[in-house]
Amino acid sequence: MAPYGPLSFSLASKVLASKSLTKAFAPFAQWYTNLSGYRKFGLKYDDLLIEERDDVQRAISRLTPRETYDRNYRFKRASQASVLHAPLPKEQWTKPEEDVRYLAPHVVEVAKEDTERQMWDTVDVRRK
Amino acid sequence: MLATRASTRNAQRLARSFATVVDSAGIKVAAVDANQPTSSVTFLVKAGSRFEPQAGVAHGLKNFAFKSTAKRSALGTIRESELYGGVLSASLSREYLALTADFLKGDEEYFVDVLSSFVTSGRFTRHEFEEYVLPVVESETHAGNSTPAVHALEHAHALAFRNGLGSSLFANEHPSFTAEDIKAFAKSAFTKGNIAVLGSGISQEALSKLVDQSLSKLSASASSTPAAASYFGGETRVQAHGPQTVFVGFGAVGKPSAELAALAAHISPTPSIQTVYLPYSDATLLGFLIQGQNGAAIKEAGKAAVSALKSAGNGLKGEDLKTAVAKAKFAAASATESREGLVSLLGAQVFSGSQATAEATLSAFDGVSESAFAKAASTLVKAKPTYVAVGDIASLPHADELGL
Repeated sequence: MAPYGPLSFSLASKVLASKSLTKAFAPFAQWYTNLSGYRKFGLKYDDLLIEERDDVQRAISRLTPRETYDRNYRFKRASQASVLHAPLPKEQWTKPEEDVRYLAPHVVEVAKEDTERQMWDTVDVRRK
Repeated sequence: MLATRASTRNAQRLARSFATVVDSAGIKVAAVDANQPTSSVTFLVKAGSRFEPQAGVAHGLKNFAFKSTAKRSALGTIRESELYGGVLSASLSREYLALTADFLKGDEEYFVDVLSSFVTSGRFTRHEFEEYVLPVVESETHAGNSTPAVHALEHAHALAFRNGLGSSLFANEHPSFTAEDIKAFAKSAFTKGNIAVLGSGISQEALSKLVDQSLSKLSASASSTPAAASYFGGETRVQAHGPQTVFVGFGAVGKPSAELAALAAHISPTPSIQTVYLPYSDATLLGFLIQGQNGAAIKEAGKAAVSALKSAGNGLKGEDLKTAVAKAKFAAASATESREGLVSLLGAQVFSGSQATAEATLSAFDGVSESAFAKAASTLVKAKPTYVAVGDIASLPHADELGL
């Protein structure tokens, strides 16, 4: 993964692979997530990915119609809450179990395709 | 010395002039090697439009060919094939889906792998369906519908056979099926009993070995059998742009016979009349397509063609029959020379379980007698005609005006 992409450098997979590290980091991670406040506006983490990029736009176009609708609904609701300068009522906050990475797998897939295309565009063929 | 060498070479060529069908890991493999500079391998799958569970799915599957698999991405497949200088193509008929790779001799290992990885591990992703497959499906449908001859034949099949063979080669302009539907259809179609591997310019042993390696994991369910075709006939008129087109035809149920091929050969094509002879595994559609600038010209040409067909329906005598049989025999023999013709001929024989030989195909024509011809032709033209008019329906003739 490119260090400055929408999915930047992350050690999360390494941390999650170890039980003790997960245990040590989890309270800090949860505190940080709550502090960042997006869940109070009914958003999911993947709603915050930088979308002004060709690859993320392509990933967004691969969402199911239902996912696209829900994403747009969350944006509208959050911007209305932002206009009112107040978080949503508590029952509308995003629950931790709802905060799934629905877009990241598509972004990874698109990035992989772009890398492959670049590989084929610059491939150095050696015939046996 | 020269003479002996020439004769031994001839003997060799005769000996391997046609394919033998072998069972390789439960898959039928047939190959012909006539020492061409290029080879071609076709995976012929019983996944034509008559087998589709939902209208247009077969067309979708055809356009999904060579997209991403567990082994390669769609881009990787195409770029790597380009490096080898091969051509990948897929074509759909009412009975079969043909996945073909044409390549230089010696590259068979790679190309058989490309074909078999699609058959065994195609991914059928939703985004590929929406980004690559659907636009092509829609534009092919649009192109087909705006070509009067193609459009007329689609309507003719729908009238003649209704379901099964009658289902269109093309999806709707706005298809309602999804990638999941195509995946399910592919899963049911890509089984050992449903696939025949046909090679040309490649030796039987080499092809069997490659097929053995790559397709042995394929599920071994029995070959799908379509619902038996029955012939109905009828008349339809479709308003359309382009040249005025009329299709007149008759259908027969049962294996395509040499008599009907001779009858088709007897209807001699003129610039405005094109003979249509479409043999399927259990039915035949025979007739002609008339194209012209206006309805009056079509009426005139159509009347003449219909009366010629009707009089042939009373039987042909002596020289006329011999000429027709010779024409049909030549058409059948020359078809085996082209790759597409070879595939359709071999395909029909391989799936019917008989040994594929050119002699068997041609010897059927020797048995055409005056009485057998008269019987086949008269039952054909006594059936209810299939009549399709595509174009300016106000001026195009009706079926009864042509003497049908």
